[in-house]
Amino acid sequence: MKPEPRPGRRVTEVVVLTTAMLSFISFGRAAAIVLCDMASTAWYIGGIVETAIGPAAPWFILAVLLCAAPFLAMYVEGSAMFVRGGVYKVVRHAMGGTLAKVSVSALMFSYALTGSISAVSAGQYLAGLLNSALPRLHIHWTVAPHLFSVLFALAAVAYFWRQNVRGIEESSDEAVRIMSLVAVMAVVIFVWSAYTIHVRGFRWPTFAPTFTSESLGWFPPGWLGKLGVLVAFGHAFLGLSGLETLAQVYREMEAPKLKNLKRAATTIFLSALLLTGTISFLAVGLIPDDVRLSYANNLLSGLAMSMVGPHWALLILQTFVVLVGVLILCGAVNTSIMGSNGVLNRLSEDRILPEALRHLHPRYGTTHRMINLIAAMMALTIVLCRGDVYVLGEAYAFGIIWSFAFKAAAVLVLRFKDHSKREFKVSGNIAFWGREWPVGLATMFLLLLSVGFVNLLTKKIATVSGIAFTAVFFALFTISERLSRRAHAHDEHREKFNLRSADDLSIVREEIERSNRVLIAVRDPGNLYHLNKVLETHDSETTDMVVFTSRIRKGLGLVDETVSMDNDEEKLFTRVIEAAEKHGKTITPMLVVSNEPFYAITQAAQAVGASEVVFGVSAKLTTDAQLERLAMTWGSLQTDKKPVRFRILGPGVEHAVDL
Amino acid sequence: MSWFQKKPAEPSVESPKAAPPERVTKGLKVASILTSDTILFPAAGQDKAAVLLALAAAVCEKAGISDWNSFLAKVQEREQGISTTLDTGLSLPHARMDGISNILAGMAILKKPISDPKQADLSIRVMFLFFSPNRQDAFPMHLQLLRGVSSLFQPPLIDQLTASSSPAAALELVKKLEA
Repeated sequence: MKPEPRPGRRVTEVVVLTTAMLSFISFGRAAAIVLCDMASTAWYIGGIVETAIGPAAPWFILAVLLCAAPFLAMYVEGSAMFVRGGVYKVVRHAMGGTLAKVSVSALMFSYALTGSISAVSAGQYLAGLLNSALPRLHIHWTVAPHLFSVLFALAAVAYFWRQNVRGIEESSDEAVRIMSLVAVMAVVIFVWSAYTIHVRGFRWPTFAPTFTSESLGWFPPGWLGKLGVLVAFGHAFLGLSGLETLAQVYREMEAPKLKNLKRAATTIFLSALLLTGTISFLAVGLIPDDVRLSYANNLLSGLAMSMVGPHWALLILQTFVVLVGVLILCGAVNTSIMGSNGVLNRLSEDRILPEALRHLHPRYGTTHRMINLIAAMMALTIVLCRGDVYVLGEAYAFGIIWSFAFKAAAVLVLRFKDHSKREFKVSGNIAFWGREWPVGLATMFLLLLSVGFVNLLTKKIATVSGIAFTAVFFALFTISERLSRRAHAHDEHREKFNLRSADDLSIVREEIERSNRVLIAVRDPGNLYHLNKVLETHDSETTDMVVFTSRIRKGLGLVDETVSMDNDEEKLFTRVIEAAEKHGKTITPMLVVSNEPFYAITQAAQAVGASEVVFGVSAKLTTDAQLERLAMTWGSLQTDKKPVRFRILGPGVEHAVDL
Repeated sequence: MSWFQKKPAEPSVESPKAAPPERVTKGLKVASILTSDTILFPAAGQDKAAVLLALAAAVCEKAGISDWNSFLAKVQEREQGISTTLDTGLSLPHARMDGISNILAGMAILKKPISDPKQADLSIRVMFLFFSPNRQDAFPMHLQLLRGVSSLFQPPLIDQLTASSSPAAALELVKKLEA
């Protein structure tokens, strides 16, 4: 006996792709994430650079910070070309996989150190505060700064490891809160410093760097001459940490993407210049020479205690500076975990790392195994450095400079190799001999290369540990890539998704909150013109965009299926996610199991409460036949009088009908 | 108001504002395009093709069209495409015809459901056949009629229609529901 017709019972299984419900962040949030790393250097760069090159440190820190502008421009150009960009992607496209693996190995070295140095420095600040505050509270204990900073750093890494496993939303919230506090602290310090300068005057630091045998390393003193400037510049280069994170967060940046990227880059540049640059000068200009070196590991504490004012007020200022410092330095730990997670994700997408590393956390949908690996690497570095910030700082610049040098070379090579239209170009391009010569980029590359080579000679610790680390990581990446490629010889990159299933379409209502709702039906990953059009013209702030596909099974008596996506569906939604990322618009992807595609679309549109349903041009059906069938199913299932607009979009084609 | 667009050129993203269905279908009642003469109660045992043939003949005869075979051929051609049968038990064959200026419609009520040859798991209890003018400006009305008929012929009405005893009674049921 035939089953009775069951109107409205065509869809039996609904799957919402929770991992893919991308949330995008504003340029302010993105800038806060990057600044948590870059601006945090203000707390330790002065001490490290002065130890290496003497009181001229602020001038070279300023020079390095001014260079952030063209380097940021270079990152903007690279990111505009590759949404999921960063050093690895850009270098691979320009110069091939081997150099890309070398560059990313150097970058991972810098990420392992940026988290570690920040966490250890935070521990040093806290130890310094405790040691100056406890005697005044008649507690005669002293804490061992190095041991305390190691323990504190391990706790900070553990905390942010947990936060990152839980996802980006929480992480960017933290960054914004931290940067707001830093802004307040900066205002307090600047105003108090202005008053102190008014009372006591200000001593400008000398321009001439003075090197120690340690800071020259293997560099022959006889070569110093004019190269001394490059040596000093190289010692201050750690002021540029965190820029790579900008490329990593670009994927999550909201529309208009490029405009927001430029805004974020400008915000980062100005904030870092103002904060780190000014504080470096104030530290040398206001802290007396005889006490400054004792504050090498916590220079801002020294600055606070050198202001004009009653001692209790200075102690309060020091406490404030230290607490804010601890927060931003811990924020840098967070940034480095996020940044290196992004880098490892790009490697995994390219099958450089084993597929198992991309496993998603069942609850939070994050790549938790990668985050575990990064946190473990940082913890190991912290234990190995035994709380010495200077050692970490010296080693740190290696990864930054070489990853920048590779990136600059790659962006430069792409100018000659890839003639597609650029959304953004680093300036300094000269038209000559019938073509454009990227003089600005070339200059940047030559500068980075020179500093990189000079640093190889001057920074023994960095050279030995950096080369060793890079070699080990390069070998690991190469072996892993071979094994992974052998296992997935013909596979292309597929996004990983967490799936949430229900036997009722109402599940999707939990994911939508805006009054305007559009359903976009997709099927063919090669035919997403209509999705791109919708993403281009709709604002995800005001419109929920539900991207829908149906898995069609024969027969009305559908049986429950195990909810997992097949290869075609994974490929389709990977392209969908890439499109959403490119436009920086939030979407809700949904898959339903049904036995009739038009019923599935209609039911989904009604469940969503869509005012607009958009399709691509079908390869099998005429648009008239598509619209006729839609009109029938819409009518048969319509439960209210709410009008809906059906649109069929294709290159040069637009059909729209209101039903 | 132009609420339907078909443009070969670069699509415009600015679409005209949607009008509610009531306004668009204003003046077009399903009962108004049916008459007792075009409502049939086919004998049991007939298949879909036979019912369609009888219905097309009745609709054309009522409209004074002698060449009803070309109408039948057109609707049969459309039936080869995407299904016109719905879960509700309504079969909605239709075709856009040259040479007519109004909608021509008829309805067959099947006391005993018949199978849809394209979808064996669906039963047809009412068949509503219509022809609309093959003009671009008439296509919106064509789609509105598809939506309107599908919306109107829900299982409760279909139950009542299959229980009705005459074309006039069936027509009255449709009128009553649309009133």
